[in-house]
Amino acid sequence: MMWLSGGFVFRRGTSVYHRLDPRVKLLISLLMFSVTLMVQALYQLAMVISVMVAVAAVATVLRRVARTMLLTASFSGFIFAINLLATGNLASSALYAVRFVAIVVSTSLFFITTSPDELEQVMKTFRLPRDVVFAFVTAVRFIPVMMLDTLQIMDAQKSRGLELEKGNLLKRVRNMVPILIPLVVNSVIRSGELAEAMESRAYGAVPKPTSLVKYRARPVDKAVTVLAILLFALTAYSFYFLLPAHFP
Amino acid sequence: MGRILEIQRLNFRYPDSRKKAVVDFDLEVSEGEVVVLAGPSGCGKSTLLRAVNGLIPHMYTGEYSGEVKVAGSSVKDSSMRDLAQTVGFLFQNPENQIFMFTVERDVAFGLENLGVEREEMRRRVDEAIRLLGIEDLAQRAPHELSDGQKQRVALAGVLAMSPKLVILDEPTSLLDPRTAMELVDLVSRLRKELGTTFVVVEHRLELLVKVADRLVVMSGGTKVLDGTPRDVLFGDEAEGYGISVPAITRVQKMLAKDRLAPTERLLTAEELAARLGRGAA
Repeated sequence: MMWLSGGFVFRRGTSVYHRLDPRVKLLISLLMFSVTLMVQALYQLAMVISVMVAVAAVATVLRRVARTMLLTASFSGFIFAINLLATGNLASSALYAVRFVAIVVSTSLFFITTSPDELEQVMKTFRLPRDVVFAFVTAVRFIPVMMLDTLQIMDAQKSRGLELEKGNLLKRVRNMVPILIPLVVNSVIRSGELAEAMESRAYGAVPKPTSLVKYRARPVDKAVTVLAILLFALTAYSFYFLLPAHFP
Repeated sequence: MGRILEIQRLNFRYPDSRKKAVVDFDLEVSEGEVVVLAGPSGCGKSTLLRAVNGLIPHMYTGEYSGEVKVAGSSVKDSSMRDLAQTVGFLFQNPENQIFMFTVERDVAFGLENLGVEREEMRRRVDEAIRLLGIEDLAQRAPHELSDGQKQRVALAGVLAMSPKLVILDEPTSLLDPRTAMELVDLVSRLRKELGTTFVVVEHRLELLVKVADRLVVMSGGTKVLDGTPRDVLFGDEAEGYGISVPAITRVQKMLAKDRLAPTERLLTAEELAARLGRGAA
């Protein structure tokens, strides 16, 4: 779980990449993701990954991305082994394994550089219903609160003699019940209070609420978009038509 | 001064309860007043507050009779949309009324919901942030704030909607004494600067007597005492209803039996110190 949270949790940054329009960042990640699926040889994948590393360097998140790559690699080893056993083909098994790393990195690049606020903006761009967007916003907003809740409940139950780390697997799963029940009860109470506060601040008063901040694509956003699409087209074209699939 | 709040013979019973939560309650509040509402837990304070801002009967249904009027219009017949702009409600736990990822966005939440234009919204958000002195927190995330800061942020969100009447539900219960004092000073300043009316539910009376114009005591769903803090606290009945009579008042009441207390019925430590200092000199 740790590699997952480390690889996908947003941390504030001030790099050029952080300041890009969130929609552009999403596009870049989607394009990188697609290219990863088009790759037909390891050396092509190496090219794609080096582009990702370059993007990570610009975004000043190189160390975090490197860590994610390293941690994903252990899972990749598993993919490699399974593939090798099934197909006996060393090259394609390696391709699958490394491709997995590339896929994780391309998605992680989007999430670690995009704030929840910007994510909300992206969801609005896709014209998702206000309720859906708001549900997402509150879910993410209350993650730290719930985590704190969980820790407090765990401490309270431990102080009453609950031994979380004792026993076999079944016993350990059963030990979670005294943690989960208060957590769920807390959340139900919390959601009631949230509903009251929402009503009191006119949630749903008008069908089209306005927004305090507006993300407007700046010239740099547009330039980056054009550049990204051009690079994508060029790469796709060269992978399929120019470069040999089986480079020595 | 006009009446901002009029409650006439309000009765309310929750559907799953046999007893009424509020019984024959009457109250009138003038514009610009600070009214403190006290009473033991479960005496119907929370229900009453929810009847003022419209959560009752719009969100909670039940047996409702009587009339609640805010700024002249009946709460029953007003929409939550209109009520949200006249009555601001600061709930007990600030955590559960902050929705957005940044302070600034959260202060704007109510205005966004009302569809206020961006320039106008920006102006009102900045104004509310300035009033509460939280300029340095504007870009912070909620989980980076202390309880006192969260409370200020939640109050800024309420004030951005420029309500005439603001309800504070046990606003100091999560605050340390010093932050609690700051909140009380804030109430007094906002009343002066904006002319806002406040209805405050509070147990720590010694903090609020300084700014309160009136003290209303509730018991068993109905109003039992209503007057200036001085009259109510120095009266004979106050202790009987389980409210915390400030130590300053209690000492004077004890001394009064031996005719040792000052006759002015002093409410705060400052008043008593000034009086005793003069007497000694």
